Amino acid sequence: MAVKGKVLIVEDDRAICSFIRRVLEANGYEAVIVSTGREAISLMASHCPDVVLLDLGLPDMDGMDVLKSLRRWSLMPVVVVSARTDEREKVRALDAGADDYITKPFGTSELLARIRTAIRHTRTTSANEAIARDNRFTARGLTIDYGKYRVYIDGKDACLTQNEFKLVALLGRYAGRVLTYDYLIREIWGPNKACDNQILRVNMANIRRKIEKNPAEPQYIFTEVGVGYRMIEGD
Amino acid sequence: MPHRLENPKSAPGHRLSRMRELMVPRRQSGRQILRNLGLTLLLLGAASGVCLLMMNSIGNSDSAVPLVFVLAVLVIARLTDGYVYSFVASIISVIGVNFAFTYPYFEVDFTITGYPLTFLTMLAVSLVVGMLTEQVKRQGRIEAEAEKQRMQANLLRAVSHDLRTPLTTIIGSTNAVLENYDAFSDDVKRDLIGHVRDDAQWLVRLVENILSITRIKEGVVQITKQSEAAEEIAAEAVAKFKKRFEGVTVRVSVPDELLMVPVDATLIEQVLINLMENVVLHAQTATEIVLRIRRQGALAEFAVEDNGAGIDPRVLPLLFEEMFPHAQELRGDGRRNLGIGLSVCMSIVRAHGGTMSAGNLPSGGARVAFTLPMGEE
Repeated sequence: MAVKGKVLIVEDDRAICSFIRRVLEANGYEAVIVSTGREAISLMASHCPDVVLLDLGLPDMDGMDVLKSLRRWSLMPVVVVSARTDEREKVRALDAGADDYITKPFGTSELLARIRTAIRHTRTTSANEAIARDNRFTARGLTIDYGKYRVYIDGKDACLTQNEFKLVALLGRYAGRVLTYDYLIREIWGPNKACDNQILRVNMANIRRKIEKNPAEPQYIFTEVGVGYRMIEGD
Repeated sequence: MPHRLENPKSAPGHRLSRMRELMVPRRQSGRQILRNLGLTLLLLGAASGVCLLMMNSIGNSDSAVPLVFVLAVLVIARLTDGYVYSFVASIISVIGVNFAFTYPYFEVDFTITGYPLTFLTMLAVSLVVGMLTEQVKRQGRIEAEAEKQRMQANLLRAVSHDLRTPLTTIIGSTNAVLENYDAFSDDVKRDLIGHVRDDAQWLVRLVENILSITRIKEGVVQITKQSEAAEEIAAEAVAKFKKRFEGVTVRVSVPDELLMVPVDATLIEQVLINLMENVVLHAQTATEIVLRIRRQGALAEFAVEDNGAGIDPRVLPLLFEEMFPHAQELRGDGRRNLGIGLSVCMSIVRAHGGTMSAGNLPSGGARVAFTLPMGEE
């Protein structure tokens, strides 16, 4: 089996390392394990992994510092592993350049999905291969047509307003990844609106009512409460 | 980041120092002092006013005047913190009464026949009343503290019971597999490992509940509220719930209008998940859960309904008791239940200024609902 990619696991708990390594190897990835921040920083440079799985609580230094130090010279994808409780920590990590996060305890399918998404985003120069090729994004019944600035649900125009389209389009470009509230607001409304969450919520509520069958059981755009929004992976 | 579950407040040494802290007058903030001073002056002023009125309308009311002031001192002792204020008030009263309300008016003169005794009595009564009131208040504080410790002890007991059962399964099953690896068939191993996973997931939920409740019960309310969309919280809670309990049908209905509520989203999600889990764990005949969100004036109402047999009417009034004593009986068969689940819900909702209610639907199923104020933060 061809190796799907090399994953650097930065985690100090041996049992967690062992289970992640088995799961990754069973799924065709190569796994490299380190348990301290210092080792992680040096191995990131020498091994050039395809994705880094970074635990934020390390014995020798703060995982955030490892992330910041990596971001000074590389855009290599980083998936942060965090404890459940603190949403702000996740947002901080995402804003500091993490590509995604996963919350302990996690299941194997969730872990593999995050790694797959993170690797795919680096392998293509454009944010999303399918968009670069066809100028459109498709996931189940949802189609975003970047050429016509339209979103279709089961072939029917969803009649989004301009800002609503921009939001959906942006989420589509980074499908599978969570985009923070601040990032979305900055991208759509500019840096001056950065503190106004309400306008984003209202727009998202309208989008849900236009593209989801039941706004409380979304199929396409998921809320990560306290963090941001995530578009379903494309087909 | 590891979270410590042990509670430093339950240490006996801590209890002592806490008592001492209660006995010593606590340092008051500027605002408190102002409030206490204001109250004291206001009440003394009111007493003087009443006495002036009496003197003007009844004429000779010398005997009633001291009583009015004693009453004022009593009220002051009740309403202010510490007994400094009632003490000062009683001295002011004695001098004031002598000065303004006894002949010779507007002169301080303690030498009039019979008056020294009156004033001494008044001073003594005021002081004793003030100190007694303060003592009662202190007693109340100590009892509240004891009550809190008792609650925490109860919680710990319930938790340790709920922890031990799944841990027994996990240790037993994994040992069984490791020691009989070759003897067991694959099906047996799969079955045992499946139990381990289920019980580990149960532990995760328990820990989440404990974290939530400790965040609230650590005295000062720790929740940070943010304006969130009710439907987003509901959607995430339902998604998480479905991941854990595949095969349970959940329908969600939200109003067309976007409801924004100032909440700690993680905690409210926890409430919704707990309520849905309760249906699975307790309403064995339920096949469908409906989560309904609607607006009720300035409140947002979240309701979890099922189509099971409903809640026993005898249990209904006990449902939101702190430790749900009924849980102890239900638990007889070793069936773990969310004894702490509902009380966690209750604490979270209360900390948000909301209310909880439970009842049965006309169709027979149970309905547990809570409301949250939607007011601007």
